[in-house]
Amino acid sequence: MFPVLSTLLATLLVGTVLTFLSGKYARWTALLVSFAFLAEVGYLLMYFPGWPGLAGGVPQFADSESYAWIHLGWLQVNYTVGIDGISLVLIFLTAILQIATVVYSWEEQKKPAAWFGLLLLTCLGCVGVFVALDVLLFFLFWEAVLVPMFFIIGYWGGPRRRYAAIKFFVYTHVASIVMLVGLLALVFYSGATSFDYSSVFAAAPTLGVATQAFLFLSLFFGFGVKFPVVPFHTWLPDAHVEAPTGGSVLLAGLLLKLGGYGLIRWAVFVLPLGFHEVQPILFVIAFASIAWGSIVSLAQRDLKRLVAFSSINHMGIVLLAIALGSSLGLLAAVLLMFAHGVVSALLFMTAGSVHHTYGTRDIASIGGITPTTPTLSTMVMVGSLASLGLPWLISFPAEFTALLATWDGLAYWVLIPLGILVVTAAFYIWMMQRMLFGPPKGVPPTAHDLPWYETAGMGILAGAAILFGVLPFLLVNLITNSPIRGFAGL
Amino acid sequence: MVGLFGTRLQKLEWGGWLAVGFAGAAMALGVTIAIGEMLNPGAYVNAQYTWLHLAASPGPFPNGLSLVAGTLVDPLSALMLLVVTVVGFLVMLYSIGYMHHDRGLPRYYAELSLFLAAMTGLVLSNNLLEFFLFWELVGVCSYFLIGFYYEKPSAASAAKEAFLVTRVGDVLFLLGIFIYFFHYATTGPNGGWAANGFVFTNGTTPFLPAGAIGSSTLLTIAGLLILGGAAGKSAQFPLHVWLPDAMEGPTTVSALIHAATMVAAGVYLLAVTSVFIGFTSTDQLAIVAIGGFTAFFAATMAVVHPDIKRVIAYSTISQLGYMVMAVGAGFAMVGLFHLFTHAFFKALLFLAAGSVIHAVGTQDLFKMGGLRKPMRVTAAAFAIGGLALAGIPPFAGFWSKDDILSAVYSQLGSHPLYWPFFLLAFAAVFLTAYYIFRAWFLAFSGDHPRDPSLPHAHEGPWVMQVPLVILSGMALIAGLFIFLPNFQGLLLHGDGVAGIPPVYGSTDLLLSGVSVGLGLAGIGLAYQLWGNGRVYVLPADSPWQSVRRLLLNRYYMKVAYDWIGLRAVYGISRGADFVDRYVIDGTVHGFERIFGSLSDRLRAMQSGVVSDYAAYVIAGLVGVFALLLLVAPYLLAHFGGT
Repeated sequence: MFPVLSTLLATLLVGTVLTFLSGKYARWTALLVSFAFLAEVGYLLMYFPGWPGLAGGVPQFADSESYAWIHLGWLQVNYTVGIDGISLVLIFLTAILQIATVVYSWEEQKKPAAWFGLLLLTCLGCVGVFVALDVLLFFLFWEAVLVPMFFIIGYWGGPRRRYAAIKFFVYTHVASIVMLVGLLALVFYSGATSFDYSSVFAAAPTLGVATQAFLFLSLFFGFGVKFPVVPFHTWLPDAHVEAPTGGSVLLAGLLLKLGGYGLIRWAVFVLPLGFHEVQPILFVIAFASIAWGSIVSLAQRDLKRLVAFSSINHMGIVLLAIALGSSLGLLAAVLLMFAHGVVSALLFMTAGSVHHTYGTRDIASIGGITPTTPTLSTMVMVGSLASLGLPWLISFPAEFTALLATWDGLAYWVLIPLGILVVTAAFYIWMMQRMLFGPPKGVPPTAHDLPWYETAGMGILAGAAILFGVLPFLLVNLITNSPIRGFAGL
Repeated sequence: MVGLFGTRLQKLEWGGWLAVGFAGAAMALGVTIAIGEMLNPGAYVNAQYTWLHLAASPGPFPNGLSLVAGTLVDPLSALMLLVVTVVGFLVMLYSIGYMHHDRGLPRYYAELSLFLAAMTGLVLSNNLLEFFLFWELVGVCSYFLIGFYYEKPSAASAAKEAFLVTRVGDVLFLLGIFIYFFHYATTGPNGGWAANGFVFTNGTTPFLPAGAIGSSTLLTIAGLLILGGAAGKSAQFPLHVWLPDAMEGPTTVSALIHAATMVAAGVYLLAVTSVFIGFTSTDQLAIVAIGGFTAFFAATMAVVHPDIKRVIAYSTISQLGYMVMAVGAGFAMVGLFHLFTHAFFKALLFLAAGSVIHAVGTQDLFKMGGLRKPMRVTAAAFAIGGLALAGIPPFAGFWSKDDILSAVYSQLGSHPLYWPFFLLAFAAVFLTAYYIFRAWFLAFSGDHPRDPSLPHAHEGPWVMQVPLVILSGMALIAGLFIFLPNFQGLLLHGDGVAGIPPVYGSTDLLLSGVSVGLGLAGIGLAYQLWGNGRVYVLPADSPWQSVRRLLLNRYYMKVAYDWIGLRAVYGISRGADFVDRYVIDGTVHGFERIFGSLSDRLRAMQSGVVSDYAAYVIAGLVGVFALLLLVAPYLLAHFGGT
């Protein structure tokens, strides 16, 4: 069979190298690569054979490939990749965000070849995480994402970029190591015959409940910092505030999704007994993240910090939906990851545009920008309304499903996320009132509306937010083509 | 129907006419559907599409879960459709004249068209989730249109307030939907409600048998949550605060959205729920209580207000209270009948007020006066609207309001607590007649404006006068529709769907006499105090001064809400931000310092060539193996591992 997933990875790898080498034409190369990648993802979507189902209790994958890589006695590492609905929908998200980011940063002047190369490299790492079905391969891609993002923040970032980059790196790296411990222990203690996902999955049930719980927690620490969950979230606002716009977009849109994806694929599915044990802990952390993210957002004056804290809130809902451990909850979690990927990326783009049009992101020091920059203002509105869960925009079907699942699993506890919806609406609506409406304030005479490439970048995301908000079944049918279908729950 | 409006760009001068054309086409279709429904009453379901689908799976939805969007035409929706499309078209037409001088007209017509599309969708929804989708869409259109003059801080603030207050209601509504969805997931034919998209009816039988609601606590809570949602949208106590401030929007918007259609959606929601799902008796009492109290409570505030639009806005809240009360008493179609007549005479009042504002450029009643002579059409239109509102026969309001009063009266035996709310609603009849004619006398009677600096008033262009004349006609005859057998059949059939007893024709003569008497007395008092250009000044030492202050300050409820929003919530939020920056992140920095000093010492012992990154990796790997080999087995042994 044609190795379509390896081709996918190779496209990005070769594309990255070419982009690094192509000097001032880097943006064209990057755009070409992005389109090629999108075409391949389109092929995947179109010819996706559906989820093959379980074989002997072990989930199978479509388009899977496996080649021997390191075989030394007990060390049986393979290059194994494959997809199901969950990974495919996130790869699709990657393709959308990649094109949008490349287009949005079309006029990047500071070392464009390196910039576009690193953008593609980040996407490569993410796609690798989504397709990898081997413990070591997964971890390598997981760590590979950190490096380009470290440089993106550290070189193209704001005034405190060094601090933010190092904080980001150390924080997530420490978490990764704990996760690696968990993964290796999972392989060794379960007596899996190789590092492959399927053999680990098949061997995991031999572990006792306590072992599973312990392993689950160590994996959760690694994935949870990436989410990020309260109280391990403080790297996120700093990283976002200092990151360049493109960096923020990929950070919020893709990197946070790695945590959710990893948790579902490597922890929830593999260690159901341990999951069941630690479920209450997950609930507490999820509720804390939901409430904390939203309440702290209300106090933010920096637009980027505001969006960053709202991400903590949304990813908290993702964690809650995962923690419910039901078919409906997992569906909601993946849907919400896609939705948040699109919407937060859009919002970070608007924050970037506000910054370089008005010289500040301080909500309180600008106002009434709508007459000067109507397109930007419209994009802020679309992003904010989508993020606060307005129907017909993408977050709503996801949040609705998540809340439905919460009522199913936890009954009246749903009041916490539901009540917080009002606070989320409040900080967005209040931000719009102060920044977009009212008499013009802090508008420099040179301010003009968005250049075409920024409009186009945001337009792609706004279009996706509306399309999948009106027709959510397009995504839902894809996502349920995975072990989520018929997931028996706990 | 919905696709008809679509999204369209109106960059050209005639863009407004394009919107009017589409609205006219929609009106033609809407009227056709309503007439069709009158000739052949029943429930008609059209094609629906699956919005989200889950196959059968273990869990709460053993037969699968479908969420669908489809259309349902039945007597309730036919009546609403008539209101929405007719008033929508007339307001669009009026806008051509009224909005002529404004900037941002493409935005105005696009948002208004989107609103009409959303409202049409809401009316035709065949399940609660679809209802909610359109419910939110009309809400956001309302948000944009209230904030149409967004340069004005007061408009931007009013838009925010409207969005957030209704959002509270929406959240309650959503929770109510959840409870119904789970409670009834497996009830009904064809695999249960969940598998069938929770549609109200499949065209022949409602999915939930009428009267099967019983007195379950959970369903009572669900009903109260639906009431909460309706209270947000229909501005019922205690979520009414946003509607008077929503008058910051253009008057046309006030007429269409904040009087005739969108605010009535809450009443419509209650009606639909009561017909297709049903309320428990506790819910019914709560609904009657909220409605009756709001009818009186809002009317008291209208009595003192100096702003012509806000007087009408309070009047809207009060009238919506009547409708809510009727639905609560179990007479959904009676409430909708009042909704129908109210839409016409309230839109008329707003458009007449808009005509005045257009002419004199102020909304302050105390600056106006003597406008009767230069604006005869408007003065007559406002008077007709006022008479309809005051419930003077044969104007429209009389028939429907009287139906409500007699409907509630017929249910007084069902619970002793119905009595006080019935009396409050009855008392509000007097206040209603008084405040609306106080406004009429202040604006139109006398010889000349009290503020001499006002511009010389004149009538608006024909596009503004025609809707006034048509709506005046409707305000005169809409109530008489009840004597048309087919229209009456529509109302009766609507109730018949769920077996709710109709009360038409049982209008109690004595009750009518008293209510008309109260209305006339209110008008008389208004004439006594404000007629012929008189201005009644309350003596400074009168004990009523404190009441007046209380009313002018809206019972201090807005102050209290602002305090909760700005001081309490924002204060907590600031505190949380502080904790986040200095306690949580501070802890992280504490760790950083500890490890930082350790690594400095480590580095001092080494050659200094090793970079930070390599050091972290090495430290990490050492940690991995240490944990793996030492810590993990130890812990596992203690927790009784494998």
